[in-house]
Amino acid sequence: MKRIFIGIIFAIAYLCQGFVLFAAGPAEIRPLSDTITSNGERVRADIPESIQGLEVFSDSFGGYIYYYKDRDGNRFATNDLASISERIVLADAGGSEQNEDVLERNEVEADSRLFEAEEDEDYYDPLEDEDAYETVSDPLEPLNRVFFYFNDKLYFWFLKPVASGYGAVVPKPARVSVKNFFKNLGFPIRFVNCLLQAKFESAGDEFSRFMVNTIIGLGGFFDPATSNFGLKRQEEDFGQTLGVYGFGPALYINWPILGPSSIRDTVGLAGDSFLDPMGYICSSSECNMAVTGYKTVNNTSLRIGDYEDLKDAALDPYLAVRDAYFQYRRNKVKK
Amino acid sequence: MKFSNSIYPEPLNLIGGHMRLKYTGIFIASVVLVLLTVFHAAAGEPTDRIRKTTDKLIEIVTNAEFAEPEKKKERDKAVRAAVDEIFDWEAFSQRALGRHWKKLEADDKIEFIKIFGELLEHTYMDKTSQYSGEKIEYLEEEIDGKYGVVKAMVITKDKKEVAVDYRIQNKSGEWFVYDLNVEGVSLVKNYRIQFNSIIMKSSFDELKKRLYAKVEENQKE
Repeated sequence: MKRIFIGIIFAIAYLCQGFVLFAAGPAEIRPLSDTITSNGERVRADIPESIQGLEVFSDSFGGYIYYYKDRDGNRFATNDLASISERIVLADAGGSEQNEDVLERNEVEADSRLFEAEEDEDYYDPLEDEDAYETVSDPLEPLNRVFFYFNDKLYFWFLKPVASGYGAVVPKPARVSVKNFFKNLGFPIRFVNCLLQAKFESAGDEFSRFMVNTIIGLGGFFDPATSNFGLKRQEEDFGQTLGVYGFGPALYINWPILGPSSIRDTVGLAGDSFLDPMGYICSSSECNMAVTGYKTVNNTSLRIGDYEDLKDAALDPYLAVRDAYFQYRRNKVKK
Repeated sequence: MKFSNSIYPEPLNLIGGHMRLKYTGIFIASVVLVLLTVFHAAAGEPTDRIRKTTDKLIEIVTNAEFAEPEKKKERDKAVRAAVDEIFDWEAFSQRALGRHWKKLEADDKIEFIKIFGELLEHTYMDKTSQYSGEKIEYLEEEIDGKYGVVKAMVITKDKKEVAVDYRIQNKSGEWFVYDLNVEGVSLVKNYRIQFNSIIMKSSFDELKKRLYAKVEENQKE
């Protein structure tokens, strides 16, 4: 059985490679040698003259992305060359209400995949990364939104009441100790992924932490490694390892129950599951689910209010979570 | 950005011949001097400004006088006044709208800054009552011309460390914060994605309506 799982993981990872070039962001895109330049050379005869500065890049799906400017100097991007001619023709015709709709609709499709080009001089910020404007691809958005709504209800109708009740009964120090215990069991995952990322000092820290917390911390219930020895937990997982190896997140997936993830991070979770001690201690899947359930309730009891705050702050919580997740993971891979 | 054909910076183009050499020398010397100050990454003026404001905020929040519920309005006003000193609401709103900002009329812009500010006020500043002894450690400061970043670490009571970066911009001599990066998640970008989606699917007026509705909903709680 294990061999089949490993085989599936490698197959998915291999497929992910196809997403690497695309998801790696603007830095990876290179212009083709026969593009239209601003001095007017043509690649194809059917591109109208009213388009200024058309740039053609290839995406790794075998298609092309066309960047062009309209009369006002606004920059747009699209996969569909035909739509450019249509748009410019419409703009030339004087832009009635109907045309605006067509333009807006096309813009929505174009924007959802590609980064926003901000031409304003005021925005030039030398300290900002080039990939700061990268957005994650989300073709499964309708499905993801359904799962997001499901998770939202699951939290308010089930998880929050249970965790609040549990939190009212069990004092906080005890719950923190339980959390420490489970975190300590995550040692193999963090240790192996540190090694895979060649972060040897971090791997050493993790090893010391495990020894100190298990022995002095009485089986991991306490965390003297952080408080007394100043050794911080090195949060590494297989998803980050794949990111360090060059895999982009590829697509956003919002799993029901599990929450926000991506193709890469889901492969990461599957890979990490082999290093989870609970998988070996627990003989049946009911046992595994029960333990995971308890761990979730315990962790949630310590964090009630966080999700509500996020919903309060956002106009569109789904997008807020998606973007925060993507930025957070990108930052962790970089570190 | 302007790209000049000459290898000399703009002003020196106007000077001819041997004078250019002399002024180049002075220019290089002054550049070196500026670089020396810039690379001095320890606490500089921006860090001090931010530190003063956060200290002031902590003082307001922990002040026993303001603790009573009747005094909440005064405390909120004091908090807002302190934040106004260091936070550039206009730059934040401008970046949150991205390329849609240019298309707005002046009164639309003012209205947007106001309502967006109220949303942020409620969701972040009203939560000051939840302050429980967090400490802020200022790590380093990087400046490149008009822009910079002050890297800090918030240490909670449970010894948890959260990395917070303040992105700063120099406007007429004073440094202002225009973005916050919490563990790599930029506040401006998070809002920009949401606003862009709403504006693209409907319109700016719809965004304004939703902002007003959200602020009203929050105030009811």
